[in-house]
Amino acid sequence: MRITGRTSVVRPLFRVIAVAVLVVSGFSRTMAGPTPLLAQEQPKQQEVFTPIDQLPPQEQLPAAPLLVGAYAFVLLMLFGYLFIVSRRLTVIQQEVDRLDRDTKRT
Amino acid sequence: MPKWFNPAILACGVLFAVSPFVIANAPYESTMGLVQKVFYYHMPSAWVFLTASVVCGIASARFLATGNARHDRTALAAAEMAVLFGLLTLVTGPLWARKAWGQWWIWDARITSSLVGWMIAWAYLILRQYGGPGSEKLAAGLALFGMANVPFIYVSVTYWRTIHPATTVVPKLPFSMGFPLMFCLASFYFLMFLLMKLRVRVAEQQARLDAIYLSMDEEA
Repeated sequence: MRITGRTSVVRPLFRVIAVAVLVVSGFSRTMAGPTPLLAQEQPKQQEVFTPIDQLPPQEQLPAAPLLVGAYAFVLLMLFGYLFIVSRRLTVIQQEVDRLDRDTKRT
Repeated sequence: MPKWFNPAILACGVLFAVSPFVIANAPYESTMGLVQKVFYYHMPSAWVFLTASVVCGIASARFLATGNARHDRTALAAAEMAVLFGLLTLVTGPLWARKAWGQWWIWDARITSSLVGWMIAWAYLILRQYGGPGSEKLAAGLALFGMANVPFIYVSVTYWRTIHPATTVVPKLPFSMGFPLMFCLASFYFLMFLLMKLRVRVAEQQARLDAIYLSMDEEA
């Protein structure tokens, strides 16, 4: 018995899969770049392992604590100053109002 | 304070809350890497410090010329801004330098002249605080020296040998680094404006309070 429906669906599906495999493999080769040849320059062979604590001091330093420290200091100082000046204004304003009231009474 | 002040402070707070996210999207600088991102707070602090020194000098000159106390209050507020933002500059700079240069501090022309400018602003405030009657005019004279120091700070990296980045760095920034810088610069200048407004208001109220006490003494 011949199943016409099956052949009509499967063949195009195989074609689509085959094309997709070709495209993906071609794309991945393009992304990977050209295959290195023996004649091309290779990474330098490592002759000795250097512990990280033997690097120059500034290269050992982690950058993140310095960066976070700088940002935290700036934000704390700015908004701390804003808070202090706002408080000072409130205190002076209250004193001015109190004295105004007292002078009006007398 | 005017009605717009509290919403403006809130808006400024939002700008500062958003700024780390804007900075995080900026690319890493090729030689310094992550630590170069201190730049986005260091440079706006430095610009506001220099601007505040100039505002203090101009207001002081106007005070000396006219004797108007309003200019004196503006100068006082600007001097506090110079001390505050100068401190931020002088603290964030070494945190950046420690990683980038391997040293906390270098006595080169830019850093030394910035320190001198900051100390002049401090001297202005100390004189105002402890100088007694008439100290506001002496302090105004000092503020003129603080303002005169600003061009030296700016051009110091051009005329003296230093490892501090040159002034040509900012105009040549690509958009991906320039936008976060401009965002932070706008935030810092906005905050400076609001803090100045607040500090001037404190000085006005303090003057009013002094006047009330003086009139009470005269009545007694």
